[in-house]
Amino acid sequence: MTEESPYFTPDYSVNIYGLNEQSVTVEFGTVISEEILQLITSYNRVLMQNPFPGLITTVPAYCTLTVFFDPLLVHTSNLPGETCFDKVSYFLNHIKQSESRQAINKPVEIIIPVCYGGSFGADIETVAKINQLSIAEVIERHSSMQYIVYMIGFVPGFAYMGGMDASLQTPRKQVPDATIPAGSVGIAGMQTGIYPIETPGGWQIIGRTPLKMFDVNRAEPSLLKGGNLVRFRAINIDEFNTYGKQ
Amino acid sequence: MKISILKAGLLTTVQDMGRYGYLSQAVPISGAMDQLAHRLANKAVGNDDDLATIEFTYADASFKAETDLLLAYFGDGAFLVDHDQVMPAEKPLFIRAGSVIKLINNPVGIRIYLAIAGGWEVPEVMGSKSTFLAAGFGGFNGRALKKGDVLSNNLCLAKVSEAIFKQLKNNQLSYPNWRISRESLIPENRHTIRVVLANEINWFDATSIISFLTKTYQIDKRSNRMGYHLNGKALVRKVKKELLSTAVTPGIIQVTGSGDLVILMADCQTTGGYPRIAHVAAVDLPLCAQLKPGDEIRFSEISRDEAEELYLEREHDLSLITTAIGLKYLNL
Repeated sequence: MTEESPYFTPDYSVNIYGLNEQSVTVEFGTVISEEILQLITSYNRVLMQNPFPGLITTVPAYCTLTVFFDPLLVHTSNLPGETCFDKVSYFLNHIKQSESRQAINKPVEIIIPVCYGGSFGADIETVAKINQLSIAEVIERHSSMQYIVYMIGFVPGFAYMGGMDASLQTPRKQVPDATIPAGSVGIAGMQTGIYPIETPGGWQIIGRTPLKMFDVNRAEPSLLKGGNLVRFRAINIDEFNTYGKQ
Repeated sequence: MKISILKAGLLTTVQDMGRYGYLSQAVPISGAMDQLAHRLANKAVGNDDDLATIEFTYADASFKAETDLLLAYFGDGAFLVDHDQVMPAEKPLFIRAGSVIKLINNPVGIRIYLAIAGGWEVPEVMGSKSTFLAAGFGGFNGRALKKGDVLSNNLCLAKVSEAIFKQLKNNQLSYPNWRISRESLIPENRHTIRVVLANEINWFDATSIISFLTKTYQIDKRSNRMGYHLNGKALVRKVKKELLSTAVTPGIIQVTGSGDLVILMADCQTTGGYPRIAHVAAVDLPLCAQLKPGDEIRFSEISRDEAEELYLEREHDLSLITTAIGLKYLNL
């Protein structure tokens, strides 16, 4: 009886480099694309379902998945290789593509209510002026697109989203604001995003959501995850004030 | 066991070995800046390494023992003083109820870690007791300690902690004759930091890489738990492309748009878009944690394999210390 090898020969190539003694980064490409996002999402799922000994956690980003591990457990594992880096790289290089490309569940769409303009979105006029639009058009265009979350980074729960209408493109502020309130929705270049916690920041703020984008008391503190789809829905101030209180 | 804070000092927070479960939601690792001092302080009172300690920044702080205490401290930021008598670092200390303990300045470093038998008892947030100040969660109500705060230990003590406590309580002296030698674990020259070159090393021109590995860099005032800005020769890039944001972690040395170096520390963001020239060897990150503005450092290159070997050796040495203390007190 021959034992089946637990490893597979992948038919796609990744570049793996060490980040530090307890992490390696798997690089899937060098451009932002939905295809790479999907590959990373499914690769990550397969890895989490079939972890190697010592796997701690993973961090997806635009084109990379970084894998954190306990070197002591990797070192004593019987993965092939001399060093922890070799052992982990071997494992990560042999995640079966057919598994990692298996059909992903339909992506989750999350609706984010936003009260645009006024004191919640003091920079909406700047965005309108720069793009020669009315404020109503800015709101219309911002809330009519479907966005995709590429990654969570910068501060807890902050989603980097793609898919904004190019006619809303606005440069960052020259001088960042000292404090931007939690829930603020902003634009920087071609990106749109929501500040989950109060922090300094340089984005043009166009509105605010009553949703808690990050809440330590939830089992999953971050409302958004890489791969989620997002839509904004314009609400008025009354709806903002009573949101979640009925 | 219980203490009350009489004077909080510059920045005093509850920390442990960090928060790893939510990196993908951009929750930083946080935890003790000097993981070595933190772990040794725990070991000295018989705790597991990951129990919470208090991280003091510089001295200028004091606290009162509301009950009898079993404490230990490690690190170079301060000495503990009880009635004008310096309490030795690096060993368990029995402190009687009512004592007022002051921190006095130790010019060598910046941070000490105060462990208590059982660990400081604060709620776990996302799997860790570490404080993350920028988002106001973890540790003691998500903030730095203030005058009047009362902290207790977890009453569930390890057998070793109980044995040490019992021995010292009945002793004339309030500490044993042994100590854990931290300096035997760290290099003699604490201002030469070993680094492993990073993935974007070839984005920099050769002269810049040589500068990085030979010149002196000085810790800038803009240095905190998130990262250290360094003053010194700015690096020049030969590859000008943008790095798409990707995961970063404490110890990574980023190069900003102006060519300046930043060493990421415990509270650093989980992702970053600056090219990275190197990462500090994990075994030397505790040395960085003791650096203060004005200190001068140099970087010396080691290979990825050497860094890994040093890591495994360090872990082996640390496990021997735990075993030795266990043998001493439990006749295992």
